[in-house]
Parts: sequence; C-alpha cells; structure tokens
Amino acid sequence: MKRIAVFGYSVMSLEAMSRLNPEQCSIIFIGKDEAEAALVAEKGFDTKVIDFRNDDALRSIGIGTDVDTLFCFYPRDFDNVFLTISARAIDKNITIVAIVDDPESAEKLLAAGANKIIDPYEICGRKTHEMLTKPDITNILDNTVFGRYDLNMAQVEIPKGSCLENTKASDLKLSEKHNLILIGVVDRELGDQLHFAIGEKEHRLDAGDILVVMGPSREIKAFKKEVEQC
Amino acid sequence: MLTRLIVYFAYFLKASKRYQRTKLFFYDLLENAGSPLKSYFDVFMICLVMLSVFLLIYEVDHKLGESEVLFERCVISLFIAEYLLRGWLYSDNHKIILEHYEKAEYLNVPFRLGKVTGIILAKKIKYIFTPLALIDLLAILPTYRPLRVMRIFLLFRLFKLFRYFNSIKVFARILVSRRFELVTLGIFLGFLVFIGSTAIYLFENPANGGQVKNLFEGFYWAVVTVATVGYGDISPQTTGGRIIAMVLILVGLGVLSFLVSIIVTAFNEEMDELRENSTYAALNRFDDFIIICGFGRVGQHIARQLEKDQLNFVIIDPKEANVLKAKRLGYLVIHEDASKNGVIQNAGINNGATAVICTTGDDVINVYITLTSRHLNPGIKIISRANNQDNVKKLYQAGASNVIQPFEIAGMVVAEYIGQPVAFEAILGIIREESHIIMETLCVHPGSFIERMSIAEIDFEKRKLMLLGIISANPVHQKHKNSYPIKNQHFYFNPESFFVLRDGDLLVVIGREYSIDYFRDQIEKSRLKRGRKR
Repeated sequence: MKRIAVFGYSVMSLEAMSRLNPEQCSIIFIGKDEAEAALVAEKGFDTKVIDFRNDDALRSIGIGTDVDTLFCFYPRDFDNVFLTISARAIDKNITIVAIVDDPESAEKLLAAGANKIIDPYEICGRKTHEMLTKPDITNILDNTVFGRYDLNMAQVEIPKGSCLENTKASDLKLSEKHNLILIGVVDRELGDQLHFAIGEKEHRLDAGDILVVMGPSREIKAFKKEVEQC
Repeated sequence: MLTRLIVYFAYFLKASKRYQRTKLFFYDLLENAGSPLKSYFDVFMICLVMLSVFLLIYEVDHKLGESEVLFERCVISLFIAEYLLRGWLYSDNHKIILEHYEKAEYLNVPFRLGKVTGIILAKKIKYIFTPLALIDLLAILPTYRPLRVMRIFLLFRLFKLFRYFNSIKVFARILVSRRFELVTLGIFLGFLVFIGSTAIYLFENPANGGQVKNLFEGFYWAVVTVATVGYGDISPQTTGGRIIAMVLILVGLGVLSFLVSIIVTAFNEEMDELRENSTYAALNRFDDFIIICGFGRVGQHIARQLEKDQLNFVIIDPKEANVLKAKRLGYLVIHEDASKNGVIQNAGINNGATAVICTTGDDVINVYITLTSRHLNPGIKIISRANNQDNVKKLYQAGASNVIQPFEIAGMVVAEYIGQPVAFEAILGIIREESHIIMETLCVHPGSFIERMSIAEIDFEKRKLMLLGIISANPVHQKHKNSYPIKNQHFYFNPESFFVLRDGDLLVVIGREYSIDYFRDQIEKSRLKRGRKR
C-alpha cells in the first residue's frame, strides 16, 4: 500500500485525495493549523499539523521512512520549492508531485527534485481546447478515464509465476473473455514505452510487463484477480 | 395617367427580384465595406486612377496615340458609370414614390407627383454635393473639350483615391474630429499673417527702402516666414521689418508645434479605436472563429493551443496588461469588457463565431458573460470556467454548454498519475497528439460501405485500428449491453462482433494517424460512389 502525504489545503488537494483509491493508498493530510486539519478530518482523512520548514517534523510524519509520495499543493511556489528541497534531501526515492502557480517556477521545482509538475491553468486550458476541437472524445474520456461512470482505465502488472507469462498479447482475447479492451502493453524487453495494441507487433508477455486495459471496474477487478491467482 | 403609370412602375420595381438583385450587386461592388467584391473593385480603381494620371503627365510633352485616347475614353466612361451608379444607389426612388402614394391613399388626399419629384431631386442633389461625389464630378468634367482649361482639375482624379483607401478616410475623420482646435488655430494664424503682411508692407515698402512692392508680396513674405521656410528672396531691410520678422518666426514656431501636437494627440486618442477597427475587419474576413473572454493564465494556454491548430480566435479582455501581452503575441484582441452586449455582438457572436470561452478568474463575470452570450446566440457553444464548485450549476443554468473546473481537473490528473501512471500518460499522449497514435471519431455516413455492416465484417484488427466503442443516438442499438448515456446519445463500449452499424453512428477508434485517415477516405469515397450510382 502506498503512503501519500498531502501538503496544502485547496480545492485541488481535496479533489485529488477523494479520487485516490483508499484500498491502494493511505493518505495523510498535513495542515498548517488546527482549523485546516479539522476541515479535512471532517471528510474522513487522517490529518496532522506540523511546520513543514522543520526537517525533524517532516521525518516525524514518515518522510524518509514510510511515505512514498508527497503532494506539494501550497498556493505559493516558494513554499512548494522549499518543501520539495527538504523532502528530497531526506529521501532520494520519494515521488514528489508539486503544483506550480507561475510557469517560470516549474524549472525551479524540477531542479529542487520534484518528479511531476502540475500546472492547473495549463491543464484547464488544454481541456477547454480539447472540448472545442474533439468534443466527442473528451466526453468519452471524462466518463471513462476520469471515471464518472463505471468505465475505467487501469494498468495490470503481470506478476512472477503468472499463467500469462510466455503467452502472446493477441491471445488474451480480453474483449471476448472479460469485456475489456486492451489498450496497450509495456513490454519490458523493449523498454518502458507503451505499445498500443493496434496489431502492429506481437508481444510475448513476461513478468513485470504491464497491460493497460479499459472496461467496467468490476471486470477490471476480476481480471486483476485472475492474473494474480492463476 | 402619367401618375398612375409611374406608381405602377414603382410597384413593379418593388416586386421585381431581378431589380433588387442588381441593386444589391452594385451595392456590394461600390458601397458595402464588408463585401470582398468592393475590395477587389477598389484595388482595380486605384490602378486605373494611377494609370490615367500617368497618362496625363505623359501628355504634357507627348502626343497621345490612338490606343491611349481609347484608354482615356474607357476610363472616363467607367468614371461616369461609377458616378451615375452611386447616384442611383444613394436613394430608392420607387420607395419614396410608394411611401407618398400610400400615405396619400390612406389619408384620401390627391397624390402629387410634382412634390414627390421635388423630394427625389432634392435627394439626388444632396448626393451631387457630397464631397466625394464632387471630387468624382471634377475628375470627369475636364475631359469635356470646351472645358479644357479645367485640365488642372484632372488631378482631382488623385483625390478620387480617397474613396478607395480606408486609411485616408480615417485620417480625414480624425481631422474633422479636431475641427474646433484646428479652426481656432486657423483663425489665429490668419490674424498673425494679416498683421505680419500689413506691418511688413508698412515698414518695407520701396518708399522706405525695402523690397515689398505691394500687399500681396507682404502676404507672401508673411506666410513664408510663419512657416519657418524663409526663401530669402524678400528680406527685411529696416529695423522695424526685422523686428516683425523675428516675432513672426518665433510665433510661427509655436503655432506649427501646436498644430503638430493637435494632430498627434488626435491620432493617439483614436489609435485604440483604429486598432480595434482593424481587429473587427479581420474578424469579418473569417468564416469561423472562437471568442475567448479573459486572457489570464487559462486563456493564454487556450490561445496557444488554438494557434497551433491554426484556428481563428479573438481575445476580449478589459485589463491593459493582458491586452498588451496578447498584442505582443500577435493575437487579435479587443480591449473591452466582454460582459457588455455590444462588445460581444461587435466581436461577431452572430457573425461567424462558433464558440465563446469564458475564462476569467471571476465566476461572477463568467456567469454574466455566459448569460449574455446565450441570450445573444441561443445555438452557440459556450465553454465556461468555474473556479468554485458551487458555481458549476449556476453556469449551466446561465446556458454554458460545458463547464471546466481548473482545480478539480488538476486534482483528478494528480490522482490518475499516482494511481495508474502508465495508463494515464498513454491517454494523455493520445489526447495531446504527441505520438502518431491518435484517438478519433469516424462518422458512419448514409450510403457508405460500412453502413449496415457488422463489427466483425469490418475487421478493425486488419485495418490496424482499435475500436473503443460507438456513439449513437439510434434507438435500434439499445438492446446492446455496455451502454453509457452521454448527453442525448449513448456510448456503447466494446461492442459485440454482431453489432450492426447504422447511419449517423460515430466510431471511436485509436490508431496511427494515417490508418485512421485512410479508413476515413474509404468511407467518404464509398459514399460518393454509391451516391453517383443512385
């Protein structure tokens, strides 16, 4: 289970927290003060109040030990930069996702050690543009990837010893057997790139390969279970 | 009898479609500033005027050949035709006749043809005395032999260019707007020159040992001095004359700089309007464009994307800094508040705009612009930004087609990134068209070969395409499973192999750009072929 620490109270942090699957990750919200923490606690999340400028306080919530992912969602860029630098100094392997207000700060955040930069304005701009130019596609994606309905996209890793090892990707016949569509495969032999399942190349599946599938969530669940157990 | 005949003829003109069409054609050709026909005609006339003036200069020391005379005659005939046509377009005679006739009928009084003729003539005379019509007339008249003395007026043809250059018209309009200042300055200048010329004549007449022989020479000297030109052909000899010259030069400098500053400030003040006019003119030329209200961070991203797609758009923003930024990037921009009806109307919400995007940082303004736009154009697509979750409903109520929430979307993106990074990056790559793999919708056109074909028959695998699903509003499909309602349609995910396509269905496919294009071409071609056979 992933442990995620969320810093900074905003619409965005609440949205991200509520969208994360509680079965897959445990979330802790770090508030600046008690009032902020109480607001988030009301929604059913674990909270803690610490001063993020203090390294010991950061260690006390598990950075450097059990926290795998850090969300830096402070509204001011310099707070996020400081938090990123501090966390990166404590833990070299932690995944840091930070939002950026001024696009110029993106580089600084990357230099400070963030793994992924999120620019809400850019995302919103892109989204509007997609709605204008490809309304049908956007509608479907809204209802699938960003799951308002039961339709979802998921990645399934093939574990060691699975019966799927050494089978061909085209033999999976997911659409008939599981009501799922195989979008693509990350074939570790060929690198980390996703190869779309559009009949260009045959992929032999090995442990560690990732299947990206789309379909109703219960079917995805059932397929995941099958992959793990067989 | 004559009256009845004329009234009958007026009714005939009113009913005649051909007459209306002809008049509209000439209106588009000569007067309608928005018509492309007029711009071609203007360019043609500019060339013609220039050529005819060159011919005039050539004529000074050359004898004209037959072809040149013929050309000159053609030009003049064209000028005359243009002059008469403009006169014809200036007012609608049959409308005036009918208006008065119907009024007379209604009031049961006799219809007086003489009075109506008077009104019509008055209108036409008004046309003759408009400045531009006078210039047109003066450009034609000198070619009439007995009026050869008026040859100099042939240069009036150059003034005809006024008609065809919009910028000259703007210059004239700006000068007219500063009429009061210019007239005041003119009167002052008149006094100055008058005082200067009489004074110099008094001081510098030959009796006093000077060179100014009469008042006209005094006037000529005063004008040359005030304008700070000073040819030096007449120079003051007496002390009095020299003092007058010094004073005149100094005051002349002041007057000149004052004149320049009046014109410059007038231009400066009108500059914004001029720029906006050019924006409106550019928008007029577009068949379709998008209106972006608010050029903040989100607006900038949208504009950049649209620019990449080579789509036309205009930005409306009341903030000076944002307007400057947009201008620097070379975008069309209107420095106004988009919440005013007039602004968004002038921008062309009913005249070519396909979508309005409200992306200001203030939800209150977004709601207002959405409402205004929906009110002005009930069919337009409106995408609005909601910064606060509570306002999403209000925006839909105001008439938005789609509502975007920046922070919610960003939150969603983060969650997806953490939960399923590979799947997420893949889909993001597809949407952004970063790889050659794209996601597209293909329409099943009526008559195309895929209509009434089953999914198995089409064989997407062979075509190297991945079928995600089908969007359709056709109730025939409702028996199929995996259907998800989207607005007024259904999305059928992973359709079974026996799913039969109907016209109007949309296939959602993923594949390489060229496989999708190839498949689309095949659909289009089969539709055309089948259409021809029928």
